[in-house]
Amino acid sequence: MATDTPAPSPPSESTQTPGRLEQSNPDYDPNVVIEAQNLTKIYRDFWGRQKVRALNALDLEVRKGEIFGLLGPNGSGKSTTIKLMLGLLFPTSGRAIVLGQNATDVAKNERIGYLPEESYLYKFLNAEETLDFYGRLFDIPAKVRKERVQELIQLVGLEKAKRRQLREYSKGMTRRIGLAQALINDPELILLDEPTSGLDPLGTRDMKDMILKLRDQGKTVVMCSHLLADVEDVCDRIAILFQGDLKEMGRVDSLLKVSGETQITAENIPESAHEEIRQLIAKHGGQNVVVDNPRTTLEDLFLNIVRESEDRPGMRPAGAAAEKKPSSDQTH
Amino acid sequence: MYVESFPQFSEWFLPGLLLFLAVILSGAVLGLFFGYLVAAFRHGPFEAFYVVAQVVAEAVPDFLHTSPRRVVAMARLAIKEALRRRVVLVTFAIFALTILFGSWFMGGGSEKPEQIYVNFVLWGTQMLVLLMGLLLSAFSLPDDIKNKTIYTVVTKPVRSTEIILGRMLGFATVGTLLLVLMGLISYFFVWRSLDHSHLLVGPSQTVAAFTAVDTETQRSTVTGKRVSQNALYEAATTRDNDHWHRLEIIADVRSAEDPKPDSQDVIRTIKRADGKIEYQRVMCLPVGNHTHPVTVTGEGDNAQITLGNSVGYFRARVPIYCSQLTFYNREGSPSKKGTNVGKESKRRGYVDGGSASNRSTLSRATFSFDNVRENRFPDLDFVPLDLTLGVYRSYKGDIEKRVIAGLQFESIADKPDVENKFISEVIEFETNEFAVQTLPVPKKIVGRVVAPDGSLVEEGAYDLFDDFAGENGKLLIVLSCRDINQYIGVGKSDAYLRGQDQAYWWNFLKGYIGIWCQLMIMIALGVALSTFLGSPLVMLSAVAVMIVGFNSVFIRKLAEVDEQGNLINEQGGGPIESFVRVVTQQNTMVELDTGFFDTIIEKLDYLLVSMLQMLTYLAPNFGQLNFSNYLVHGYAVDNNQLLIGIATTGAFLMGLTLLGYFCLKTREIAK
Repeated sequence: MATDTPAPSPPSESTQTPGRLEQSNPDYDPNVVIEAQNLTKIYRDFWGRQKVRALNALDLEVRKGEIFGLLGPNGSGKSTTIKLMLGLLFPTSGRAIVLGQNATDVAKNERIGYLPEESYLYKFLNAEETLDFYGRLFDIPAKVRKERVQELIQLVGLEKAKRRQLREYSKGMTRRIGLAQALINDPELILLDEPTSGLDPLGTRDMKDMILKLRDQGKTVVMCSHLLADVEDVCDRIAILFQGDLKEMGRVDSLLKVSGETQITAENIPESAHEEIRQLIAKHGGQNVVVDNPRTTLEDLFLNIVRESEDRPGMRPAGAAAEKKPSSDQTH
Repeated sequence: MYVESFPQFSEWFLPGLLLFLAVILSGAVLGLFFGYLVAAFRHGPFEAFYVVAQVVAEAVPDFLHTSPRRVVAMARLAIKEALRRRVVLVTFAIFALTILFGSWFMGGGSEKPEQIYVNFVLWGTQMLVLLMGLLLSAFSLPDDIKNKTIYTVVTKPVRSTEIILGRMLGFATVGTLLLVLMGLISYFFVWRSLDHSHLLVGPSQTVAAFTAVDTETQRSTVTGKRVSQNALYEAATTRDNDHWHRLEIIADVRSAEDPKPDSQDVIRTIKRADGKIEYQRVMCLPVGNHTHPVTVTGEGDNAQITLGNSVGYFRARVPIYCSQLTFYNREGSPSKKGTNVGKESKRRGYVDGGSASNRSTLSRATFSFDNVRENRFPDLDFVPLDLTLGVYRSYKGDIEKRVIAGLQFESIADKPDVENKFISEVIEFETNEFAVQTLPVPKKIVGRVVAPDGSLVEEGAYDLFDDFAGENGKLLIVLSCRDINQYIGVGKSDAYLRGQDQAYWWNFLKGYIGIWCQLMIMIALGVALSTFLGSPLVMLSAVAVMIVGFNSVFIRKLAEVDEQGNLINEQGGGPIESFVRVVTQQNTMVELDTGFFDTIIEKLDYLLVSMLQMLTYLAPNFGQLNFSNYLVHGYAVDNNQLLIGIATTGAFLMGLTLLGYFCLKTREIAK
């Protein structure tokens, strides 16, 4: 099992009351937000026969202030892990400690926000009522609650639709209101189950920016996804699960670093200089040299086009994006 | 309907509370055991202890830290759900339609239409709100679990108690509001449907509409029935609301010094030759329970006769029952059930009228009444005593002649060795067999005062309240049979003094409180069951419980067993034995062949019947909360019954909340 140094946690003073374990357990480390010990979950049928082993002896530690990604194909145990952390499922064996308290303890939920895989919300309520309802479940003064409802509606961009019942919402809108309800209590720990699923690229980008912003505010985010690009973009550390087993865990940058290869990027180098560079590298013993123009990602292209269009509505000449940055070269 | 025992709330409460605690305790023990079994199956026998202990340990803080704020938030959600899913609207629409067109099909030709109307609105309201309560509560939580909306709720600091209580409170609020609305509309509907007046049939609304009564036969020319005493003329009214009344002009003869009748129905005043004054008054004879006040404007032949709006439909009679009924046999010694006349009635005892050879009989039934105070009775010259007497005729005699009974009033001394006793003379009356008859007991009764040694002190007319009931308020009414070879049957509920009527709206409200209690239990049941069953199963189980609840008395009687485990009421054995008899075509009187199979059948039957018995005690007794019979027949709902009903409802709500809590707490929300 791979381990790595966790991300340095920003020094933030917790204003919340410490959990019971925090007070009673001398080994309790306030920087560890989630701790799974030998966590196992076996699904059984009505007769108690084993149907599937969804999670197998998972040991995991999420530290304060990091974005932790759970990665894996469908059915690998990501959602099960999150549900165990939330107390929605009871572990078959092992235990999950969240914010110093047992995962089944209701009190921990005061400091948690959860966005489920699909936003499971009451379709007969409108956005304002939804947030107001969830807000009432916390010990927040009425005035603060009302302000926060409006703030969050603004934050997720649903001002125009706040009086419409959720049954009329598109999938993207439902995800947004789902995120807003997860943030209603200004939580310390946010658990996001497939946060970008069903969102358009713009929404995905917004969601990712939001996650990063939450991290910058000192909050801890745990997300699970099978969209690798999203995980790569935002996560500090990841764990890769496959069929209930933890296969890999560590910091994203060090896991993705390819040792033995060097990348040089420069602008405004003419084609004629390529051969010269190649020779120079060969002189130093470099092999498999590739000199060409780098490719942007489809996501960046799409976002550029959309943002430009917002500034300049109307027809846009095809291929304009390619012409925009013609002279950036890349060498491997 | 009859009530043989009337438990006082104060007497009922403590044993009731103990029984409730015993049920909760045994339920808890069973629950723990069952929980342990399941946990042992899943986690092994040792880990199971820890799991069960954890659930129990978490339950205490869960109940202690239940936040009213969150309960209200959950309740608000439940209310919004109920309203926006339109269940309430549809229920109300059905009710409104029934009320709008229901009167087309009701009341036709009945003498007591108020009974049909009140029965209809109460039954309709009850069924509709119970069904609504069931639909709301059965679908809410299972839908939340199915749609996974519960994920976003339980991941907030919400305890299982708050989810359960919030739902119950929310649906209860919606149900209560709807019930109040339905109650008000029903009250208005019944009042509006029955309110009516009539006109006289004849050339004009004056005395010209009347014809003279045949003084010889004393029978009506319209109906052929006997007219009232002193009746001079009669007339008929128009037919409205499916009935008409007979009007009579009767002669009210008073001496010149007596005051005039204090009413507006005097049509003629005649000074008679003997110096007395005859007031001729127009009377409207009642149909069923109602009549109309008559107003005469002017005097003489041109006086206009007007009938007012109906009165007497809405009554809440207050029966004051005796605290003890004792029978005495022919020799005068107390007997438990009176004279045995065969299996005539289970609840009535019979009083013997003596025989031709031995006319002196001491057989009698004595009713001891407590707290007979003047302020409990209507402000009339007499105290109404309602009797429903049964008669057993040992020889046919004159079938048209009614059996004569006797009533005697006695005081009950606290210290019989020292205090004198008031004993009235026997007042004889004709029994109105197997129907309610009201005897006006005069407030001044002729009798005698007897010293403790039996010697006569004085004779005279004594006051019913001041002398007979006296300071301790105790009164003994002695019923005897005055016809030889005849028997009069009476039970404890067959004789009561009628107190001051209660306000009808208050009685109507009490009837609705009964329905409200049923609704609360239904909602709690639906919510509790929906914590571990899917919607269709919740519906099915709740309806089953409802059926058992409404018929628990019948089922209990059906499953009654004696000490040996034999069924008391039914011949032919329990369910399995009956089935065997049907299949093998054996009649119910033949004993089954004794042997191995017979023993097995008997044991299985005993088990089934015991389970059935237990079920009737576990299911809420909805019949106990159904006060419609009181309202339909115009009696005030007994306050003790109401209090007992409310307390029972509270007990069920507590029990069901506990059940719901533990089921929700121990279940995995996610799949």
